[in-house]
Amino acid sequence: MTAAAPSKAERLQKVFPVDLEKFLPEAILRNYGKWVDRKFHGYGIIEHVSATGERIFTVKVALPPNARLSADTLDKFADIADKLGIGALRVTMAGNIEFLTDSLEKALKIKEEVEKLGFPVGGWGGALWGINSCTAYLTCTTAVVDSPSITKALGDALKPYFTGEIPLPAKLRVFVSGCPAMCAGGTAIDIAIVGQWGAPPKIREEVLPMCLPPPKALAKLPESQIFLVQVCPTGALSLRREGDKVKLVLIGEKCINCARCKENCDAFDYDPENVGVSILVGGKMSNTGTGPRLGRVLIPWLPANPPRYEEIVAVVKHIVETWRQHAQPGERLADFIERVGWTKFLDLLGFGKVRDYYQRVPEFARTFLTYRSRGDVYPRLRDGI
Amino acid sequence: MSAPPNLPPPDQLLQRAEEILKELEKGPWPSHVAELRKTQYPLRVYGVGLAARKSPWGPGAVKVAYINTGVLARWARDWVPGGGVEVHFRVFHTPGKFWKTDFIKKITKISRELGVGLIEVVGQTGAFVLNLTPDKAEEMVDALRSIGTDVGGSGDAIRALNACVGPALCEFALFDTLKWYAEFHKDKRVNDNIATPNYPYKFKIKISGCPLDCARANRADIGFIGVWEGAPEVDQARFRELVERGVVDPVKLAANCPSGAIRWDAERRELVIDGSKCKKSMHCIRAAYPAIKPGKNRKVAVVIGGGVKGRYGPKLGWFIGYLRPDQVKEAIDLTFKVIAPWEAEAQPKYRLGDYILVTGLDKFIEKAGIKLEGMPESIAKTPDDVPYAVLPKEERDMYLKLVEELKGKVGV
Repeated sequence: MTAAAPSKAERLQKVFPVDLEKFLPEAILRNYGKWVDRKFHGYGIIEHVSATGERIFTVKVALPPNARLSADTLDKFADIADKLGIGALRVTMAGNIEFLTDSLEKALKIKEEVEKLGFPVGGWGGALWGINSCTAYLTCTTAVVDSPSITKALGDALKPYFTGEIPLPAKLRVFVSGCPAMCAGGTAIDIAIVGQWGAPPKIREEVLPMCLPPPKALAKLPESQIFLVQVCPTGALSLRREGDKVKLVLIGEKCINCARCKENCDAFDYDPENVGVSILVGGKMSNTGTGPRLGRVLIPWLPANPPRYEEIVAVVKHIVETWRQHAQPGERLADFIERVGWTKFLDLLGFGKVRDYYQRVPEFARTFLTYRSRGDVYPRLRDGI
Repeated sequence: MSAPPNLPPPDQLLQRAEEILKELEKGPWPSHVAELRKTQYPLRVYGVGLAARKSPWGPGAVKVAYINTGVLARWARDWVPGGGVEVHFRVFHTPGKFWKTDFIKKITKISRELGVGLIEVVGQTGAFVLNLTPDKAEEMVDALRSIGTDVGGSGDAIRALNACVGPALCEFALFDTLKWYAEFHKDKRVNDNIATPNYPYKFKIKISGCPLDCARANRADIGFIGVWEGAPEVDQARFRELVERGVVDPVKLAANCPSGAIRWDAERRELVIDGSKCKKSMHCIRAAYPAIKPGKNRKVAVVIGGGVKGRYGPKLGWFIGYLRPDQVKEAIDLTFKVIAPWEAEAQPKYRLGDYILVTGLDKFIEKAGIKLEGMPESIAKTPDDVPYAVLPKEERDMYLKLVEELKGKVGV
């Protein structure tokens, strides 16, 4: 008798790649937990020194927007890692790749080889560490603007800050998200660009029934039990009953454009004419300086015009230059804004007028904001530890 | 989404799409379009989206047996000339995201043979993404399982976990993040909730080795961040050597400490750090490692309720107490204690943080039955910008007592 073919139900037990012995390169395993120092060798190259005397050099390489690589390019990277490295590389959360090698000469050769392939080497220290992008039009159904192409346009303009041709006061990271779901990593970063509708969504009546209970049930159910009504944080979506007809309506004045309805139902649509991005500054995740914080809206709406997005690139470049020229060494954008104050920062940018506009919040967003502000009474990491 | 108004006829639309795509191949930054051209990804659809300024993809469905999370399928909208399909798998990354070259070759082989030759090497969850052709989905799952990884982590489930590189390549790691990462995955409950979506919304677990938070644990539903107690440890002899060599300016170092906890005693040539003031910003440690090291008494700070996507917008997590670096089992139990009341009571599409905002953190901790070292006492129960509240007698007496003590202190 032959053994039965493995049942597909076994797939419910996942195979997790967690075996360190199997997945970590040997040189890393030998020095696991023994690292004692690091040295910088120009932008993008770092030497890790182990207590055993061994050294690992990492070479940080920028990837295309959304970290998309073809199998061909990845194979070429693997060949470089075999030829000049220790037969391994490391992917970082910033969407970069780090080649691992054992000498500075080899590291410099790796730099040369990947630059020949068209991938810049840079990051670490006072530099742009990379631009994170969500997938947007490459695969996403809810994206409002296309973040990979915005990232490409920004990368072209900001490359000198990545490679170190123009040194920056401290680390700089940029997140580009295509919609308010902010899948590129949210707003807790130096500069965040977030796509948004610009105007309340339109409902496509022909698709809407797919997201609602059947008409008979809809007539009986209380409003609070309807999923789409629950999903809206400001109560802009509500049921209107006229005789025996029940209709879901959107009250435009209550809408804050958070896009939660869109995330949960395909019936919500927008007009490309209204679409834009908001630009946030001064967030970060690390506990350095003034601690982790969310970014703050600098410009609530700018048009997103493919393929070069001149308006967005201009503002981001202006922010980076203003920070570069005024900040103290080692001061991240968030810490710089904290030190000089928001008003002064706006003045330095020449955006004094923005003050008059950006705080204008619709009256009906109060429920949303009240709940948000509740969170402020509890300590977060910085105040807690 | 419906077709945008004034959409040009198909041939003009495709022409405009090609123009935009060509433009995106120019310039010094690596181009995603140049990479996509080397694959079988339907680039035409992407181009049409850019020309129309609207996402060209609509929700699709691909069924893979017993794979309930990690499969995402899209069909091109009806206004995209020629249509198109895009299916991808979210695949678990290796610990520390190290890729040995033999593993890369296996991945690229699978991607070429069963997919479209396109790989997103890291997504924001910390997983990587493989595009595939829908009819090869079953085969690809088996192929990935045979090389030691798997598909999973989308929808209302526990998402792919994320840990920083930790002791594998970083001298600042305060505990073994990759061991924690492995232990979490070995737990049956974690496996089951990654495999099957059962929760009100997504749930993310992130593990960072030090307060620099490279794994972004601050915005996880539950995050673990390595910290230490008190002041960093200073090796005075070694530090003096750094000062003499001109590597570190002690006066500047003290002045730039964000917590204001450092003083340079010029007479005794010693650096004095006040542990009670230290906010663990890592400033001095990064400037003068290894002369200044994190303190010996290591702990793991737990933050809960962070997240980007959620009912009440982006949030950073709240600190709820400490674990010890060896308490990984307790950390897993704690995770499921945190999940229990949220899973039972939260409305659909409420992140843990949203649920906590509605319930209140104190009430939530009580419901979840959490007891941790160093749990902060809540500062206030209601936002303090409202000057009226219903206060029980004990609470009023508490304030009275507070001021009675103060009277003695200030001599009124």
